[in-house]
Amino acid sequence: MKRLIQGVALSFCFILLLGTTLCFAGTTYDKVNKDGVVRIGLMYNSIPAAYFNDKNEWVGFDVDIAEEVAKRIGQEMGKEIKVERVKLNNKTRISFLTSGRIDMSTANMTHKRERDRTIDFSITYFFDGQKILAKKGLYTKHEDFVGKKIASMQGTTSEKNAINLLKKLGDANAEKNVISFQDEPSCFLALQQDKVAGWSTDSTILLGYAAKEPGKYELVGDFFSDEPYGIGLPENDSDWRDAVNFAIQDMWTDGTYMNIYNKWYGPDTLYYFPMTEKIEMWP
Amino acid sequence: MRSSKRSAQQFGIIAGISLILYVIFKHADFGYQFYWGVLYEVNPTYKEIFGYWLLRGLQLTIEISLISTAIALVLGTIFGIARLSAFKPTYYLATGYVEFFRNTPLLVQLFFWYFAFPLALPSTIRIFLNEHNFEFWAATIGLGVYTGSFVAEIVRAGIQAIPHGHVEAALSSGLSRTKMLRFVILPQAFRVIIPPLGSEFLNNMKNSSLAMTIGVAELCWQSQQIESFTFRGFEATSAASLIYLGLSLSISAVMNTINHHLKIGQEKQLTVLDRIFGFFFKPFYFAGKLVFIIVRLFKQTFRLGEYAPVHEEALYASIWSRLAAVIWKWLVYAAKIIFVCLFIGVVFLIAYAVYSFNWAVIWKNLPALLFWTFPHGGAGEIFFGLGGLSLSIIIAGIALFASFFIGLVFGLGRLSRNPMISTPSILYIEIIRGNPLIMVIFWVYFFSPIVTGMQIDVFWSATIAFTIFSGAYLAEIVRAGVSAIPNGQIEAATASGLNYFQVMRKVVLPQALKIMIPAIVGQFISLFKDTSLAYIIGVFELTTIAQTLNNRLMIFPFEIYTTIAVLYFICCYSMSMVARQLENKYSPS
Repeated sequence: MKRLIQGVALSFCFILLLGTTLCFAGTTYDKVNKDGVVRIGLMYNSIPAAYFNDKNEWVGFDVDIAEEVAKRIGQEMGKEIKVERVKLNNKTRISFLTSGRIDMSTANMTHKRERDRTIDFSITYFFDGQKILAKKGLYTKHEDFVGKKIASMQGTTSEKNAINLLKKLGDANAEKNVISFQDEPSCFLALQQDKVAGWSTDSTILLGYAAKEPGKYELVGDFFSDEPYGIGLPENDSDWRDAVNFAIQDMWTDGTYMNIYNKWYGPDTLYYFPMTEKIEMWP
Repeated sequence: MRSSKRSAQQFGIIAGISLILYVIFKHADFGYQFYWGVLYEVNPTYKEIFGYWLLRGLQLTIEISLISTAIALVLGTIFGIARLSAFKPTYYLATGYVEFFRNTPLLVQLFFWYFAFPLALPSTIRIFLNEHNFEFWAATIGLGVYTGSFVAEIVRAGIQAIPHGHVEAALSSGLSRTKMLRFVILPQAFRVIIPPLGSEFLNNMKNSSLAMTIGVAELCWQSQQIESFTFRGFEATSAASLIYLGLSLSISAVMNTINHHLKIGQEKQLTVLDRIFGFFFKPFYFAGKLVFIIVRLFKQTFRLGEYAPVHEEALYASIWSRLAAVIWKWLVYAAKIIFVCLFIGVVFLIAYAVYSFNWAVIWKNLPALLFWTFPHGGAGEIFFGLGGLSLSIIIAGIALFASFFIGLVFGLGRLSRNPMISTPSILYIEIIRGNPLIMVIFWVYFFSPIVTGMQIDVFWSATIAFTIFSGAYLAEIVRAGVSAIPNGQIEAATASGLNYFQVMRKVVLPQALKIMIPAIVGQFISLFKDTSLAYIIGVFELTTIAQTLNNRLMIFPFEIYTTIAVLYFICCYSMSMVARQLENKYSPS
């Protein structure tokens, strides 16, 4: 009995110790400066934002942007900082930030107020909007999808938006008709095999997949929601947020941003997506 | 009297543990504010009560479980009997079915049924399927087929457990083969197999959580939906776990009472609970009786199954019966030939499909499936970027090694006579076994940052989850192994002056381990298959790599999924061969 109490007391102490010592104190900026390492969260299944190419190299628009931001922050600190890439999916991209596993997440993240409760965002670094992808020649407008099934990814804003669109157009079964999958490949497979009439998410993602089989798919209708992408950052950490924001603005000013943009979304690419907006600039 | 005192003690300990947990969560600061209101309050952003979502999910989970259980029972009975057939093609077909589906992960099978199988159908059927809730049916039938392969093995073992003398006696007393099966073998076999069948149905219910991966909004899916809407992963996952636990406990209660009611040969000892449940079984009992009476009336009216008196039309009868026998014989032949043709046809179709695969794609990506980018991994990647099949094996290996010790401690703990030790062990074992693995993965994933203040790598998060999960199952294996050692040996060892640990280490465990080895290998196989679930939190094991490759190639889903199914199968099947050999080597008879 005595031993048992001892044991329980010991394990209590252990848990408390673990809980207190491992909580990181101080700002992310100082930590990155001290360690010389920045941990960046990136998706691995999103073409052309962040994916593994045919040589199994991890490339994409988000990858280049994140590396460039890290490089510039390093220049400001006056030293080379190493980048550690961490794989994220839609399940892990927010909890990794809140728990401090990563310092920034460049992962197709729309800036949403609900999300802002637990994490912070940088200024918008990419402007996207939601559309519906469908087999070519079958549908012409959003109304055609009423009563049909639409694929989306679980845990994304586009899922909620698609339900709202169908509801607005008078679909009584909107909740049931939007089918949520765990990842983008599953959504595309479902569309490919006519399990769903359309797949709705951010249009650049749709373009990335449609380019797999050129001429078979098309985007239907206009944007039905704006999806401003921000880099996800730890909550209440303004030094770090400033550093990231300034890096993005500097990239825009000296033209590096457009170089990266054209590399992935320019007219010569499979994912041509004209740039119509402007990064928010602070004089 | 003794048992009631013991259960009162146990109850007290459980209450104590819950109190301690409550105090910890109430007062210890994890840097995380618990907010259980998310489950029952109206969420201001979405204007919904998320608790309802869980209930909707529960309804779907129950539907999937019931229907797939029925499918599994039918398939399992047919193929279980077919595995004992003397007619070789039937045997091959049944064996192929059982071995293939038992030795590949359910997750991969569900992907196959949902994404690959419809491609083999004409487009009109495909459109029909897609308009009729195909996600639900793919999950339910996939689950039924998977569980069916396990039920088939249970049925086969049950039939083989019937002494051969019964078969001979039944045949010599003039029963036909079908009648013998119907009246002598199956009624006995089903009684033997009901306990393992019950745990299989329990597994089936827990496995239904995998339906979330193909977009079926069952319980687990709903809990994750709440997480993605509110970032309250811990609360949502805990609530779903409690529901699963309740479901598991009620299923095992029902199976226990059925077991008690069906017992023959000894006097029935029914508890109060059994009698209450028995009341619900009464309608089925009467329905069975009614069917029996109707059948008998029907037979009496039409005089079916009665032989014509021999002395009146002996010659006539003998000609006709001889003719009937000849016709019957040819019919059986014809049926066999048709069966063989169909069998060959199916084999040919599969072979042709495999032949027309784009093999270049498979060969090119095989290294990635086996090792991923090893040894050229980037900074911060575990094991120099190792992934794919080898990572799956490593996860399973580490988890089995670590969980063996957990299993040893808790398995022995459960056998302890001191309730202070046995009750926590029972709690751990039953809570984990009452939950789907996917829930344990989410637990570790959402709980570890709350306790430790930091997020461990998903690889370790998944490995810890597998360890905790498999520890509970190994504890039961240890318990069974230790219980199998005759009590006399323990008494003799204690009498000769050894203390508890010496008795265990020197006498009991060496013998028990030998008995446990086949079961441990079996556990390793299922652990290895379960590593596919690490896909859900993005660990780069085989299934995730397959998804990633598929994502890039997009037009070869058949090739990719078949390849990983074959990879899983090769590993699991060779391990189960080893298990079988060990079983033969160490079996007492």
